[in-house]
Amino acid sequence: MMPDPEDAEVMKKIDGLVRRYGADRSSLLPVLRDIQSTCGSVSEEAVLSVAERFGIPPVAISGVVSFYRFLSEKPQGRFVIRLCKTISCDMAGKSLIASRLEAELGIPFGETTKDGQFSLEWTNCIGLCDRGPALLVNDRPFTRVTVEKVHDILEHYKSNANPGRAFEFDGTIHETFIGRLSFDRLKPDEALKEVLQRKKPEIIDEISRAGLRGRGGAGYPTAVKWSLTAVASSKEKYIVCNADEGEPGTYKDRILLSRYPDLVCEGMTVAAHALGARKGFIYLRAEYAHLKDRLAKTIEKRKRQNLLGESILGKPGFDFEIEIRMGAGAYICGEETALIESLEGGRGEPRNRPPFPVDGGFRGMPTCVNNVETFLWVLCIIARGSDWFRRAGAEKSPGYKIFSVSGDCERPGVYEFPMGVRVKDVLDHVGGTEAKAVQIGGASGSCIPEKEFDREISYEDVPTGGSVIVIGPQRGMASIACNVLEFFAEESCGQCTPCRIGTRKLLEGLKMMKSGKCSMDYWRELASLCDTMRLASKCGLGQSVPNVILSLMKHFKQELPELADQAYSHGNGG
Amino acid sequence: METGGEEMSDPETADEAIGGRVRITIDGIESMVPPGTTILEAAQGCGIKIPTLCHHADVHPAGVCRMCLVEVEGQRAFQTACTFSVFQPVRVRTHTPRIRRARKHVLELLLSEHSGDCCSCSKNNNCELQALAAEFGIERRRFGQTMDVQCGKIDSGGYIIRDMNKCVLCRRCVRVCADLQTIGVLGPHGRGDETVIGTFRAGALIETSCIHCGQCVNRCPTGALRVRDDTERVWEAISDPRKHVVIQTAPAPRAAIGEEFGLPAGAALTFELNTALKLCGFDKVFDTNFSADLTIIEEATELLLRLYDALEGGKGGMPLPQFSSCSPGWIKYVERFYPEYLAHVSSAKSPQQMFGALMKTHYARLERVDPADMVTVSLMPCSAKKFECDRPEMRTGAFKDVDISLTTRELARMLKEAGIWLPGLRRSDFDAPFGTATGSGVVFGATGGVTESALRTIFELVIGSPADPDALAGKVSVIRGFDGIKYLEFSLPEEIGRLPALLTRNLDLPFSDWNWIRGAALKFAVYHGIGNAKKVMDDIKGGGRFSKCHFIEFMACPGGCLGGGGQPIPADNTVRARRAAAIYAEDKSYAVRKAHENPAILEIYEKIFKEGPGSEPAHALLHTHYTPRCSSNKP
Repeated sequence: MMPDPEDAEVMKKIDGLVRRYGADRSSLLPVLRDIQSTCGSVSEEAVLSVAERFGIPPVAISGVVSFYRFLSEKPQGRFVIRLCKTISCDMAGKSLIASRLEAELGIPFGETTKDGQFSLEWTNCIGLCDRGPALLVNDRPFTRVTVEKVHDILEHYKSNANPGRAFEFDGTIHETFIGRLSFDRLKPDEALKEVLQRKKPEIIDEISRAGLRGRGGAGYPTAVKWSLTAVASSKEKYIVCNADEGEPGTYKDRILLSRYPDLVCEGMTVAAHALGARKGFIYLRAEYAHLKDRLAKTIEKRKRQNLLGESILGKPGFDFEIEIRMGAGAYICGEETALIESLEGGRGEPRNRPPFPVDGGFRGMPTCVNNVETFLWVLCIIARGSDWFRRAGAEKSPGYKIFSVSGDCERPGVYEFPMGVRVKDVLDHVGGTEAKAVQIGGASGSCIPEKEFDREISYEDVPTGGSVIVIGPQRGMASIACNVLEFFAEESCGQCTPCRIGTRKLLEGLKMMKSGKCSMDYWRELASLCDTMRLASKCGLGQSVPNVILSLMKHFKQELPELADQAYSHGNGG
Repeated sequence: METGGEEMSDPETADEAIGGRVRITIDGIESMVPPGTTILEAAQGCGIKIPTLCHHADVHPAGVCRMCLVEVEGQRAFQTACTFSVFQPVRVRTHTPRIRRARKHVLELLLSEHSGDCCSCSKNNNCELQALAAEFGIERRRFGQTMDVQCGKIDSGGYIIRDMNKCVLCRRCVRVCADLQTIGVLGPHGRGDETVIGTFRAGALIETSCIHCGQCVNRCPTGALRVRDDTERVWEAISDPRKHVVIQTAPAPRAAIGEEFGLPAGAALTFELNTALKLCGFDKVFDTNFSADLTIIEEATELLLRLYDALEGGKGGMPLPQFSSCSPGWIKYVERFYPEYLAHVSSAKSPQQMFGALMKTHYARLERVDPADMVTVSLMPCSAKKFECDRPEMRTGAFKDVDISLTTRELARMLKEAGIWLPGLRRSDFDAPFGTATGSGVVFGATGGVTESALRTIFELVIGSPADPDALAGKVSVIRGFDGIKYLEFSLPEEIGRLPALLTRNLDLPFSDWNWIRGAALKFAVYHGIGNAKKVMDDIKGGGRFSKCHFIEFMACPGGCLGGGGQPIPADNTVRARRAAAIYAEDKSYAVRKAHENPAILEIYEKIFKEGPGSEPAHALLHTHYTPRCSSNKP
């Protein structure tokens, strides 16, 4: 049988991609992403063909395709519209936009128009929380979308016109009592030049004295991570910049990556020098594809300036290169072992630890994964000294932190505050004094009620990766909790029992509760299940799923309906 | 995500291991273990049973079910005992109230998604989920239960049946297929609460590259995977007075079926089984060892022809190394993944099929039975044997050589249904005319057995005088045991005998003496488990040392037939070693332990295949051919 000419075209394309990226398993995701963007799907034929060229069973490839939201087994339209449905955009009125999109296109979500032009999809947080409702058309973001704007956007694409500058966007950076962001005061490559003058252990000592903790949310001491990687005896080590910012309400890395791409690269280069790595990856989430060109150009420019490449700044033996690797739509890949799985071309499923990435990460080699922001603070600490950093913040949470503020406030945007700042002070700054609650740390964080606005945002008290979602008095807390649990049910990798099934049970229970069909007994069972999920889940995602329910149970009981009597649903969890 | 539960070790305390051993304190019990030992292993060592579900000793740990949670001092979240390796002193608690509650929650969550009825399940009474539910005293489905069994989740068209209503996503099957067997037809699909274990395109397993080895079935903790049940067809045949129903029993099931009756592994019930089968209603009971011996004669002759071809530059077309052909899973594997090597595969049918072919021809004539009225059944340790006997190549004339192949588990169930308590039965012998069994056929059941058996025959045929099989076994001991890859160089002696009468029957033999093989150094390799087979095939492809071998024995299943996909569940290396011991003990118990000394074999060549082994008539009945399975579009 002659192959379909269209298939033959796809096969040729795949051969080209394999030549370009190589047939190593870790090239799988780039290859699949390219197939997706040029063919509109990763078809069964494409999977078979990739499987053959990579020597991987087809089921493993389709397992990868079905894991990531930006890869699709079904053919998709030329323009894929992804409307964000997570907390901030939900609060900003995504439902109206959704109905308008459906009406304009004449299709429901999950479908493609008959002419193959538009696909309409829901997506989870795309990091435009300060400017919701937001959507992506292919890679391109549209913010503060209004019902009227929907029509314009579609018309532009229908007429093949470039949407032009009318829809340009940028994040707002607000001044706080400490002024603008500290990073503005950094002189380009000052820190890099400085570290080349110092002994390697001194660099880590400086960071250790500063007490810098990872800015992604987990807050692991950066210096410990670095020294564990530095002492690992392997010759092959990797630096990974975790730019898979997916925590609902968090978008500060988007701002940092677009404003300070040079600093991000510089920070990674400093790490490479201190830890002895020769290769770095920026793992950029698919939703931030619009930032890729700028980053890539920065990397190219730095190569030309001898700030990357071989013998950096003339220092013999100091070789370091940075490669951008795109995610493909999976929140869980922000978890560092899932990120590494993804880099290796797998489903982004968190690994068992130990071994930790610092011992056996990418390809089993010592790998240091840090958040975008962490790299920038390293530069500040080197340039201004650990004492400067220590002067701000709390005892166990020294220094400053970048916050992403969204929700019911007058001035959503990015702010720099010292760690240990009180919730109340943040609210004052952002114009959110009406708030009845604040969700801190995104979906996986905790919800602080008004009576606790005196609490401090720090690892000692309320930890955060930077997300602050202000919740106004008009909001229903149970609905917000539902939104969060729906987010987790979709974003869980599905590996481990407590997270995979437990999340659904919590969601079902909450819905029963909202409609007054949950017994007091069952509600208590769920509370106890929450405790188990926190302790028993494999990774941070599953461990933090219950936070939202626990907050609801603790602080917002009055918003829940009267519990049904026992007979109603005893043991009827499903 | 806010926090991970684990704390990385501080580099300063990482090396507090004493004398190469690390201290682990489990529930107050202290012990010293080698670094890298998992908490689960250490606990087993001190008599503490930590419940597990996704863990299986044969595959790498996954840590996904979360049943084996323990508290490790200094760690905020619970750790899985199956994955947590100990490199520095740790204190572990295994059954605090919070742990017991967490485990119970995990179990209850799994039960809430596990639909189906225990009483109508193939794994009833042998289900790990059921056993855990009993151990934890589950009295109600705290988190509800999915009651509706969805037909769309059942793939029942093939030899291996998947009922995903019962799947608990432990991924053992995935790991078995991808890691142990390196085939990978099963995998996780989707994510979050929509994750399922499936095949490519969610297609039927039979449409994939599945080789029907059944290793996934053997390790599935629930009844989500099972082998097609053919017992009703056998009962039907038995109860039909017009049918002459015969059964052949292979050695591996005989060494394992006792486990189904609660006996410890390693109790061979060969002769009790003969009685049982008669009680069950079979007309005749035969020993597959007979046709195993026949296989050896044919396969050894083929090897000699290939060797002569290679050494003396014959007509070509018979390349070395020769690959064994007894394992139908291996055959499907090589057909699918290395079709360019099919000329290497011995054309000799497997013992099951040789026996079947003789039944419907020679035996039918002898007994004056119309082959149309015969039903040939086999008792095999294997799920792929069902596939083998269905192959279109495996027919003689209008008839299937073997009509129904039963697994060890199926037969045990039949006996139990009929109230036949196997261990308590009297012993009785196999039926004539194939009755006399030899040890050479028995050892087929263990990895290395085919090779050992072939060597016994080739060695004696060449030296022309009897040799002690135990002395020979001493020389070739390297091919016994469970090493994944076994390699043997074996030099034939300079002293040679005359070409034996058995071979001189074949007038087409290109040689008339043994001078050409005198002192030849023969190279053998033995593999079991497809993961190892893949290694050797890739080595051969690259012209590595295994391409220089003369004979390679391949068995699809770890341990060989005794670890087959139709054998009692559960099994691990200890159980398999006991089964192997039973097989080698049975070998020793026979007076005749060499294929070419088996009087029934000699008689067959006397009466049926007068032109000798490897001759045209022998080929017509006892040999087969293979089918390349095109790789494109075959997931």
